[in-house]
This record gives sequence, structure tokens and C-alpha cells, in this order.
Amino acid sequence: MNLIIKIAWRNILRHKGKSVIIGVILFLGALIMTVGNGVISGMDLGLRENIINCFTGDAVIISDKQQSDNVFLEMMGKAVEPVFNAVDIKKELDKQNYVSRYLPVGKNMALVLNEDGGSMGHALLMGVDFEKYRAVFPGNVKPIEGRLPAQGEKGALVPTGARKQAFDFMNIWFIPEQETLHIANLTPEALANKDNLSLKRSLVLMGFNDDNSTSDIRLGIKGVIKYKALNHVWGNFVIVDIESYRQCLGYFSASEKAVELPADQKSLLALDNANLDDMFSDNSLIVKDVKKTAVPQKIGHFTATAVQPVDIDAGAYNMVLVFFKRGVQLDQGLKNLNAALKAANLGAHAVSWKSSIGPIGNMAVLIKAALFVFVMFLFFVAIIIIVNTLSMAALERTSEIGMMRAVGAKKGFISNMFFGETAILSGVFGGAGIITGIIAVKLLTLSHITSDNDMIQLLFGGDTFRPFLSAGDIGIAIVQLAIVTGVAVLYPLKVARSITPLDAISRD
Amino acid sequence: MNIIEIKGLKKNYALGKTTVHALRGVDLCVEKGNLISIIGPSGSGKTTLLNVIGCIDNATEGSVRVGEREITALSDRQITDIRLHQIGFIFQTFNLIPVLNTIENVEFPLLLMKKQSKGEIRKKAEKLIDGVGLKEFAHHRPAELSGGQRQRVAIARALVTNPDIVLADEPTANLDSVTGEQILDLMREMNRVEKTTFIFSTHDANVLKYAREVIKIKDGLIVKEA
Repeated sequence: MNLIIKIAWRNILRHKGKSVIIGVILFLGALIMTVGNGVISGMDLGLRENIINCFTGDAVIISDKQQSDNVFLEMMGKAVEPVFNAVDIKKELDKQNYVSRYLPVGKNMALVLNEDGGSMGHALLMGVDFEKYRAVFPGNVKPIEGRLPAQGEKGALVPTGARKQAFDFMNIWFIPEQETLHIANLTPEALANKDNLSLKRSLVLMGFNDDNSTSDIRLGIKGVIKYKALNHVWGNFVIVDIESYRQCLGYFSASEKAVELPADQKSLLALDNANLDDMFSDNSLIVKDVKKTAVPQKIGHFTATAVQPVDIDAGAYNMVLVFFKRGVQLDQGLKNLNAALKAANLGAHAVSWKSSIGPIGNMAVLIKAALFVFVMFLFFVAIIIIVNTLSMAALERTSEIGMMRAVGAKKGFISNMFFGETAILSGVFGGAGIITGIIAVKLLTLSHITSDNDMIQLLFGGDTFRPFLSAGDIGIAIVQLAIVTGVAVLYPLKVARSITPLDAISRD
Repeated sequence: MNIIEIKGLKKNYALGKTTVHALRGVDLCVEKGNLISIIGPSGSGKTTLLNVIGCIDNATEGSVRVGEREITALSDRQITDIRLHQIGFIFQTFNLIPVLNTIENVEFPLLLMKKQSKGEIRKKAEKLIDGVGLKEFAHHRPAELSGGQRQRVAIARALVTNPDIVLADEPTANLDSVTGEQILDLMREMNRVEKTTFIFSTHDANVLKYAREVIKIKDGLIVKEA
């Protein structure tokens, strides 16, 4: 082995030009490959941090009646089917040991009414229990004006994107209750129109109910927020308390629960209203002894229910966001979860986070695939150039190789010698490329490159370009380099092995 | 005792659409320890005959026995083994490994054999380099040696494995007459001391005096043995 390494090393030095060409290709290949791996890993990590950890969770449980899996970013604004049995789903989730946490959420679109009489806007509503939201997505939203709601408080958090949209469509500028206009937070267009802005401290929302009716609600704005990451993407989702959300969408709320009606009220409901006159006749239960019975009973009923605690999850939601424990594979987690939901016959199923955000999820996968293909293309080009250069080198050394064979060197020796040369070049130059790649990734991370562009944000996996290399990624880069070296040397090896002593003599 | 036995050896080459009959049916026996010269004009088949005997080229027809083994039916690996263990080759153009120095070139076949320790190999190589008068050039690379010196290194390398046969294809062709004579003297000395069988080809009549036996070849056939 020493002899082979000695010959290989000296041959590298002897053929400096070719060695440098191959070395530079290996260096650049390893460098770009390492940085590419860093970008892919950074994107993966960024997507995990900024989409899964900040918005969707690993999986989203939706109603079996829901037609599209894209429940967050459905372009046509189609309503998401309600889930009425969140309590049962929660019970089932509590049994799954691979589930770390979950959050029931209401999500749908509502119109934003213009009290000034102009055109209406729209808003994507996220109905949540604020406390639970903050527990599941800690630090995900940051108020830039106003504050986050207190526990049980009703109201809305308007993100900057939704505020800009309201201004663009309606010339309305939302500000939190009891706050004044923050000039510094105005968009350039709003600033230019500052004197004519219509300041609003509440949202008037009109939701569409299942029975084709509508419900209008007014919600005080508690804060104007920015999402921690991908604010450009998530910035249109207005967060509202779940009970107001339900009211807006016409869902039954947690405080609306079934009660046993007194006999007289049951009789009233049982009246045949075909003849309206009956309702006002002497036989009517309402007219009869109304002062003695109805009023005291009603007061008593209200007093009793006011003190009873309300299970907020007893009302309707549209989905449950589920996080898997670290190390649980997404596919496996989904499979297990769906099996559990099906077995419990809950009329709901889980979809992956990628499916739930539709085009963005697909785009993220596509960008990742494109990066991967680019890195593979680099591999291919590097292999072709190295194969060509090494093959030429083998043919140029016909006399030397043929003479070695003539004095007794077996084909294996020639293979090892050639492979040794390439391995040394790969180790030295490729290793330098990987180390430089690691440094480049560190520098890129430290440079805090940011973008507002949606596509670039997806490539970054967030607002900031943060390529990342784990020990595994570096290991993969080394394996990739070894594969490039191994594949690139195969054909030149064949050429070198096929050289015979007679070839050497013939050449002389 | 014959160390080489050749019967009906034919060797044809395809040259475009024509076939060149380099050897047309050679019969030859070589005794162990002999010093033979093969002479003949250019293109007579000398080099082809040496190449077949040296397991560098294969026969088209006929049998070639080297030592105890018929070499025409052997695999590449077996043929390589014979080249390594039984045959030493001295080429016309002093083929040495350019990246190895004199002593490393001589050690090369022994390192391939992997039978002796590094110390033993070094000792043997030094002895042979001393024998060919290149002690002072032991650490010089081929590019730093003259033609005669390189040929001496090739001789030392050919002898280092104690082969049964040393084949030399026009070993003096690229040397001046004085250096050529020194090389032939050296080969004769090695033949005398080591009892190694030497076969060298030449078309120079002046070097025939060094051979104990001369084989004349013409148009691919042996025409005279003397």
C-alpha cells in the first residue's frame, strides 16, 4: 500500500496541470455540493420552524366531509367544513404517545364590512383560544401596536398584511383599541394618504353560515401583530377569539348547550303555527298566567347557567393542528393518527402540513427538489470532466503502465494506483471544498440575508437566509464526494487496466 | 535441461485488412543458463519472438513452454505471475518508472512479490545497484540518469527477482558503442555468476561475440542456429 500511495502521490506532483484541473473541479464540486446541502437543510429546518412550528403543526385533522386538503390557502376561499367533535378528537389524541401537543382551530374567510360605506374587504380568520394558542405556538406573534388579549378576552389580532389589505381595498387603517396612530408603522402608500385615513379600532366582520344566512359581529382590535416568520405569507390571517369566530360563522358556541325546557315552553314549541291566530288566542300558553310562571323561572335559569364553567372546546372548530414528538416520521405519524381516528369513528382524518397549505407546500417541495437536481447536475458535470481528464491521463501513461504490467504488476495494482491518485486528489481538494463549504455556510448564516419576496422566502425557509449543516449533512457531503470519486474513476480504471505491456512496446 | 521449448510457433498480426505473419512456425529449445543472441534484420520477428517468450504477447498457434508451464493457455493473472517470478525483461528504451528513483525502480518487482521484508528488499536492491556500478546514483530519478545508466538500472531490476530467464530486446540499440559493450559485459558477467539464462536480440553483428549461441531469424523463421 505504501508503494501505491508513494507512486500515486508522486504522479500527482509529476502531472501538476491535470492534478490541478481535477482538483479544482473536485474542490468546486464539493464546495457547491456542501453549500447546496446547507441550503436544502436550512430550507428544511426553516420550513419546520416557520411553517410547522409557527402555523400548521405536523398534521392537520379535518372533517371527512372536507373536500380539499388545502385548508389554509384555498385560493377560491371555499369554506372549511366544521368539526363539531373536537372534544372527542382531543380524547383520542391524548391516547397517542407520538403526539406531543395539539390545538383546535377555526379557520374560514369573512367579509370585512366598511362602515364608511365604501367597498368591502375580506379577511382570513383564525379562531383560537388565545391562551392555548400561545402555549402551542409560543412567541409566534408579536404585537407591534397594542397588546395580546388576556385570558378569555374577546377581540381580534390584526396582522400587518391584513391591515395593509384593508387600507388598499377600503382606505381603512386599523389600530388597536385605546391606541393612537403610529406614523412609523404606516406603509408608504398609507403615509402619503395620512390625512385621509379612516382609522378604525374595531373590525366589523360578516361571516357566511351553512344555511346561507350571514352573521355580523363587531370585534375590538386588541393588537396589530407581526408573525415571527413568513409574515408575508401568514400576514393575512386575523386571529380572533374562538367564540367570536363561531358567532361570526354561525357555528354553535361552547356556551350554547342543550337545556331541558320547562313543560310550558315545550308546549309553546309544539304549537302548530299553521294558524297564527292560535298563538294569540285565549288558549295560548304564553298568555295564560304569564306573570306567575314565566318570568321567575327565566331569571332563575339565567342565574344558574352564568356560574357554570364553559368547556371552550365543546363548540365547533374547523381543524385540529397536531404536533408529533421529535423523531417521529411524518408519514408514519400520519398513518398512525389516521388509523386511530378511523378506529374511533370520529368522522375526521389527518393530512400532512404540506397538503394543508396547498401551493406553498408543493412549492417548497419543488424548490427543494430543484436544488437537489441542481446539485445532482453538478455531480454529473464533475464526473464527466473527471472521467475525461483521467482517461486521457491513463492513455498518456500507456508506456509507464504497460511497463509496470511487463515487470509483473497485476491489473489490481494498476487499479489501486489509479484509484489512489484520484482518492488523494479527492481527499485533499474535495476535503478542502467541504471545509470551505462549511465556512461559507457559516458566513452566509451570519450575514443575515433577508428577503420580502415570497418565493425567496420559501427558498430560505423563512424571512432570513439561514443555510444549516448538521454533522449528518457533512457526512452526506463526504459520501457524495466519495460517490463522485468512485463513479468518476470507474471508466479511467477500465482504460488503465486494459493497457498491456505490448501497448507500451508498440507505443515506443 | 531446456528452460524454453517452442514448437510450431506462429504469430499473426492484423494490419488493417491484411495479416502480417510475424512468426511462421518457429521451433526452438533454450538450455538453462545459456546466453543466446537472436539476430536478424528489422522486421524479421526477433522482438515478436522475445515478446511471446516473455509472456508479453500471445501466440497465434503452436506451443511455448517456459520452465514447467505451457504459457499459451494461461490466464492473464497466471501470465503476470510468470512475468514477475520467472522472467526479467530489459527493454530497448530503458522503461523505468519515472516517479521512482534508481533503488525504488529496482525494488519494484520485489515489492510486488511481497515475499521479503522491506529491509531484505532494500539490501538486495543495493547489492544489485552496486553490481551495475550505480551506487552513487541510487537516489536519482530516471530523468537524472544517462541512457547507459538507465539501461543498467533496467538490468538490475530484471535480475532482482532471480528470474530463470532474462530477455533483452536490443539492449544496446540506443546506446553508444562503449556503453553498449559495458552493458553486454555486465550481462555476460551476470550470466556467469548467477547462471541466469539470457536471451538478447540484436541486429548489430559486433555484439555477437558476447553470445554463446546465436540464432538467426528471417521472415519469421529461424534460419540458422550456431
